[in-house]
Amino acid sequence: MSSSLIEVQREEFSILDSWLKAREFIVVGKSVRRVDSLEKVLGRARYVEDYLVEGMTYARIVKSSVPHGLIESISPGEASSHPDFIDLITAEDVPGQNQVGYYISDQPALAEGKVRFHGEPVALVVARKPESAELLRSMVEVRVKPLPAVFDPLEAMKDQVIIHEEVGSNVVIKTHIGKGDAEKALEESDYVVENEYRMGYQDHAYIEPEGVLAIPKDGEYTVIAPAQYPHLAQLISARVLGVPQSKVRVIQPMIGGAFGGKDDMGPILAAQAVVAAHKTGKPVLLTYSREDSFTSHCKRDPAIIYYKSGASKEGRLTAVQVRIIFDAGAYANRGPFTLWRATAHASGPYEVPNVDSRGFLVYTNKVYQGSFRGFGNPQVQFAAERQMDELAEKLGIDPLEFRLMNILKPGSRTCTNQLLDHSVGIGEALRRVAEASGWREKRRRYGRIENGKARGIGVACAWHGISTSRGVPDWCNAYINVAKDGSVSVYTGIVEFGQGSHTGILQIVSEALGIPVEKINLIGGTSDAPDTGATHGSRGLSFGGTAALIAATKIRKAVQRVAARSFGCSPDDVELRDGWVYCRRDPEKRMRWEEAVKACYLQGEEMSATGYFFMPKERFDEKKGQGQAYVVFSYMAIITEVEVDVETGLTRVLKVWPALCAGRIINPELAKGQVDGAILQGLGYMLLEEIKVEDGRILNPAFTDYLVPTIMDLPEIMDPIYVEDYFKYGPMGAKGLAEMALIPMAPAIGNAIKHAVGVSPREVPYPAEKLYMDLRRVRGG
Amino acid sequence: MRIRFTLNGRRVEVDAPPHITLLELLRNYLRTTGVKRGCETGECGACTILMDGKPVNSCLILAPMAEGAEIVTVEGLAEDGRLHPIQEAFIEENALQCGYCTPGFLITAKALLDRVPEPSVELIKDALTGNICRCGAYRMIISAVLRASEKMRTTSASQG
Ligand code: FES
Ligand code: FES
Repeated sequence: MSSSLIEVQREEFSILDSWLKAREFIVVGKSVRRVDSLEKVLGRARYVEDYLVEGMTYARIVKSSVPHGLIESISPGEASSHPDFIDLITAEDVPGQNQVGYYISDQPALAEGKVRFHGEPVALVVARKPESAELLRSMVEVRVKPLPAVFDPLEAMKDQVIIHEEVGSNVVIKTHIGKGDAEKALEESDYVVENEYRMGYQDHAYIEPEGVLAIPKDGEYTVIAPAQYPHLAQLISARVLGVPQSKVRVIQPMIGGAFGGKDDMGPILAAQAVVAAHKTGKPVLLTYSREDSFTSHCKRDPAIIYYKSGASKEGRLTAVQVRIIFDAGAYANRGPFTLWRATAHASGPYEVPNVDSRGFLVYTNKVYQGSFRGFGNPQVQFAAERQMDELAEKLGIDPLEFRLMNILKPGSRTCTNQLLDHSVGIGEALRRVAEASGWREKRRRYGRIENGKARGIGVACAWHGISTSRGVPDWCNAYINVAKDGSVSVYTGIVEFGQGSHTGILQIVSEALGIPVEKINLIGGTSDAPDTGATHGSRGLSFGGTAALIAATKIRKAVQRVAARSFGCSPDDVELRDGWVYCRRDPEKRMRWEEAVKACYLQGEEMSATGYFFMPKERFDEKKGQGQAYVVFSYMAIITEVEVDVETGLTRVLKVWPALCAGRIINPELAKGQVDGAILQGLGYMLLEEIKVEDGRILNPAFTDYLVPTIMDLPEIMDPIYVEDYFKYGPMGAKGLAEMALIPMAPAIGNAIKHAVGVSPREVPYPAEKLYMDLRRVRGG
Repeated sequence: MRIRFTLNGRRVEVDAPPHITLLELLRNYLRTTGVKRGCETGECGACTILMDGKPVNSCLILAPMAEGAEIVTVEGLAEDGRLHPIQEAFIEENALQCGYCTPGFLITAKALLDRVPEPSVELIKDALTGNICRCGAYRMIISAVLRASEKMRTTSASQG
């Protein structure tokens, strides 16, 4: 870490350190109720489609029905004579740059010249009435001259069909990390396991489909956008409009689920909607239908993973060699980062001396990939954790024992040779879930078929770097203002979409100022707040909370100084609690919070503060593929118990034991909600959710045949075991957690299936039909 | 065309095209936006309302079919500024995250509790199987329905 950063942020470091050492908390660590629940149960919470603006119009996308081709013409056709028709918006109407690519500038807001996937937005139709937009878009005439298309990533890697001429090859990015000599170590290993894994898409299937409302006024734009990073939606909107970023204001409505998907779709829809708003001069509400959401919004990257790993006969991992191919679809979007994350997590949370992990991001003529809870990691952890079980079996060691023999601990070096100096609780987590689940006994007893059914129990671990990788600059910020009457406003760019970050941030501020949560107003998810980075990578509460804690502590200190003067004690002895400011040594000396604030105003103490913090990072050497991959990792261990019906191939997950290492838990009840939700999405990923694609077209764009878990699929989920392995730069030691439980869920189920009936799942999803076929193969007949 | 019905205890009369759904009528013509659009094909339950006491997907019903009906949406659950026990229970059990599915779940659960005051967990699951919660709050939702059932029984016992 650069020494100037230490110098400049001396105050911030000391603030974080003092809270890390605090022994007692009043609000933090308690299950405070989420602040938005009342409006939600009343049906008054305003999601984007619930806004009503004078003169509002309604837009839908017009989509390509060709997977790859040259656009010849787009015309409104009969739509133009319909009384509700207002306008047709195409790439030609984009006043600025028609570019929404996240890292690589390869993606237009509306297709230009070429279409690259079936379902790609080529135009928007704007209607006077909401119910007419659907009809109008069916009348629009789009003529496309088809080009040869490529759908299989292995085929695409041959570059016979080029999807992006400007990139030149379908292999858009290659990644690499490693250390030692994996090739040689594998040759010398006592045991080696080598397999190929295939992972399918997963759709976020948030119940609220995508939507954005763009309101133009006098050359400025207000954008109501369910986005996960308001400043990114602002930047991209400004880019397509060709106006300064400051002319666009982004506000977050209530958001009906995001899970990463709206990190991509928020800015993309914002770009589409502002162009329409600009051209028509009217407020435009752009909404996707459920079918649009399936056909045209980004998904979890499908992957092909070749995995070879070895162990010594003593049970130590010797090497892993991994090749990861991510199917990016038509646009790279987040692919460079999901793939990097997969590459850098390929070893699993274990000590492996020799590692060679390489990734390839490949364009195909299909819907593009995007952010989704786990961000590239669930794919590779599935392979890593299935491998662990197969290796253990070869070695004749219990798979949980085998994991413990190799697990990361403080002082370990990771697969990128990063030294983990603190905050590594996974070993304890694993031991505790083993005990809670009755692991040993069930491992012995299960795995027998009785009356056509068999039970199995399986374990899997995961590690997950928090926030952005490598040297990608990472910061957080918050602004707090205390009004003269003592009420407090907190501005954060962190977005609330159900995970409870806003409630958590309020708890942190409440703790630091010693006033109840009800006295604090949080204005979040807006470009009016300082740029806090995105709410992704499980950084919302952990990094957003850090910023809020720093800002609040600056105010706390001002109050302490003023109160100390009046009490005649040292500022360190001034306590803030329950709305009172008092001297710890002499509690008779006290004043109300409001009086203290007034005194600050009178005595020249600033009652507003920002909490900017630039995350200190160490070097990552891209050439060697070594160095600090992430500032910190969260960890998860999960045990699942399943029952497989041998006649039908149907797997039911009966019980789940989660253990989480996410540092301090700010709000256990909300944390539990995140763990439950991630478990269910992981269950769906493994057993239910399958996007079927034929010639690039999605065949099942509806909940009828894309099955997400219903209440009937709910297993008995135990309350999470929290191993609180504090993180030194997190608020009170907190790390990220919302993604964690999804990541090991699929392999935990896969390993339990293996235990139950002896077949070894190497594919995700692994629905009943596949298990049934594999069972027949294994058992004959 | 003119459609007349009772909405959350109030008589309403509205002019709307006959081909729109009841979901569109409620949201766009009557601004009852607590009713949510999730799929518009009867598969997610976000648009659930009570029609003459029965939970139905308003996205599958044409607006004119509401003629003369008694319709209750999430906005009609609280009475005289007091939350319905099912609403209280959802807050207390943390049975919501993003909240988008919540109105549908509340309505379906209320219909169940009106019919069966003391439902078993199996019956609760059965009743709620048409409502999807992608945030995965199912465990807390079941607890909330049980808690609401208890609340409703104790209040009706103390009143009777
Ligand atoms: S919107 Fe009616 S069931 Fe989904
Ligand atoms: S709370 Fe988000 S879908 Fe149920």
